[in-house]
Amino acid sequence: MKNIKPISWIIGSTLLLIVVATLSLLWGQYPITLDTLISYLQFKAFGGAGNDTYTMLDNIILQIRLPRVLLAILIGSALATSGAAFQAMFVNPLVSPGILGVLAGASFGAAMGMLISDQWFVVQLLAFAFGFVAVGVAVLIGTMVTNSRSTVMLVLGGVISSALFTSMLSIIKYLADPYSTLPAIVYWLMGSLTMADLHGVLLICVPMLASVIGLIVLGKYFDLMSLGDEEAKALGINVTMVRLGAIILATIASSLSVVMAGIIGWIGLIIPHIIRMAVGPSHRLLMPLSAIVGGAFLLLADTISRLAFSVEVPIGILTSLIGIPVFIIVLKNARAAWN
Amino acid sequence: MELKPIITVNDLHFSYPKRPVLEGIDFTLRRGEVVSLLGPNGCGKSTLIRLILKLIHASQGEIWLNEKTLHRYSHREIAEHIAYIPQYNNVPFNYSVIEMVIMGRISKLGFFAAPSASDYTIAHEALERVGISDLASRPFGQLSGGQKQMVLLARALTQGVDTFIMDEPVSGLDYGNQIRLLELIVSLSSQGYTFLKTTHYPDHALLVSSRVAVMNGGKIIADGLPEEVITPEMIRSVYGIEADLIVHDTHIRCLPIFNKGTL
Repeated sequence: MKNIKPISWIIGSTLLLIVVATLSLLWGQYPITLDTLISYLQFKAFGGAGNDTYTMLDNIILQIRLPRVLLAILIGSALATSGAAFQAMFVNPLVSPGILGVLAGASFGAAMGMLISDQWFVVQLLAFAFGFVAVGVAVLIGTMVTNSRSTVMLVLGGVISSALFTSMLSIIKYLADPYSTLPAIVYWLMGSLTMADLHGVLLICVPMLASVIGLIVLGKYFDLMSLGDEEAKALGINVTMVRLGAIILATIASSLSVVMAGIIGWIGLIIPHIIRMAVGPSHRLLMPLSAIVGGAFLLLADTISRLAFSVEVPIGILTSLIGIPVFIIVLKNARAAWN
Repeated sequence: MELKPIITVNDLHFSYPKRPVLEGIDFTLRRGEVVSLLGPNGCGKSTLIRLILKLIHASQGEIWLNEKTLHRYSHREIAEHIAYIPQYNNVPFNYSVIEMVIMGRISKLGFFAAPSASDYTIAHEALERVGISDLASRPFGQLSGGQKQMVLLARALTQGVDTFIMDEPVSGLDYGNQIRLLELIVSLSSQGYTFLKTTHYPDHALLVSSRVAVMNGGKIIADGLPEEVITPEMIRSVYGIEADLIVHDTHIRCLPIFNKGTL
């Protein structure tokens, strides 16, 4: 498979994403045929005589399914590229986007928001802010404890920061009203795309897309970063700036994913592995493919969660249930792609 | 005629907490030289190389690269003058040989640029020069130690610089690959490349070097022509063993004297 040209992989995976997105728009409690969708899109693009069906489709597609499709793609892309970037940066293929504590911090922020306010905006703002605070704590611990910039200390800083914010999350849960706030926190932490609305998605798509594109641009440096700091510096990389840039971009992307959908695990870990098995480890191809396939994967998982069960399964549970067996299979074959 | 200095080190000191490593190093690498840094484990050879590459910072003294002190160079600018060939080691992701070699071009690329067709041509030419063009698509992790070292040398060639710094280049290589690598260094040196390399082998230093600097206890204790610096007295004082120097096929060789049953 490695003889296939990079551009063919990009085109092929983009087509896959388009197919999954189309199916996700068509399938649901109210099924839509492809013909109906095409004539609706023609109506929206070129105008013409409207009818009651189009008014209903406005509601189903524009207000319900399209925001959810876009959000799934954005979050899947964000988590997969963040995971791939961190795996290179920490020279460890078993690293996931939460390694520096961003997910624990954002979870704590969101839970605190639910505890102190009824405003959804406050919840989202605190989730985003504490994602950054947690990563800041990890970086601070990592650089202060030994006054070194070693990635090992950064990872240990992340472990400490994650533990700290997970503990504080437990305190929030303990203080929360067990009949209203606590279930809301617990359900929200399971991860869900049901909160997707067109306005919110359009608002976050700019910083999220910018982060994903930024990580893709940094991809060519990740190959060198994965050789270790000294070799990367000797080859001409400003290791500190690349690492800082990648941490900031991945933190924006991951925090925003928690802001919009709670905790969705495993994507950042397994998608880069799957891509590596298919196309090899070079990050110049791995990063864009992780973005596209990560988006397609989460969208597919979300579509399954909407359709396969009588009650909608939280997407975070489903990605874990899919992710674990996939990871076992991947691990079995992954030794060829990483030493 | 005096050769033009590329790297000049003046009164360089470096310490880890509570442990001095380098104590007042003065050293010059001139264009066209092959200089071997010779000395026992822990004498500070690798530390000196890391300081010259600005991977660590000196506590005292200064390093000049061409006309400017080192602290005025970014890592990217240093990579435009010097290529570093580390001891080969495993990488976590199994890049192909050509992917490893093309990494040498990164300092030439703009922020948004990817390696071009001409970058790949340069990388393939470098593989050809070190005699491993047939390995281009092989995974780096599956190569032998000798092949990996050749890949790193090819990567250095793609950087388009003429000064190479090598840290223990023959470490871990089998006997044949050690000699083949030394021959390649001599061949590249004759084409105008400058080498600074650390070594544990006085014999290798005699074979390939135009100059040898001997380090011991964080100081350079001798610096000069290989046949003047590498003497039985120096071997005895630095390594605590006896050695003979013999002439073989126009080369002076160093043979350690092996005493059976001395313990």
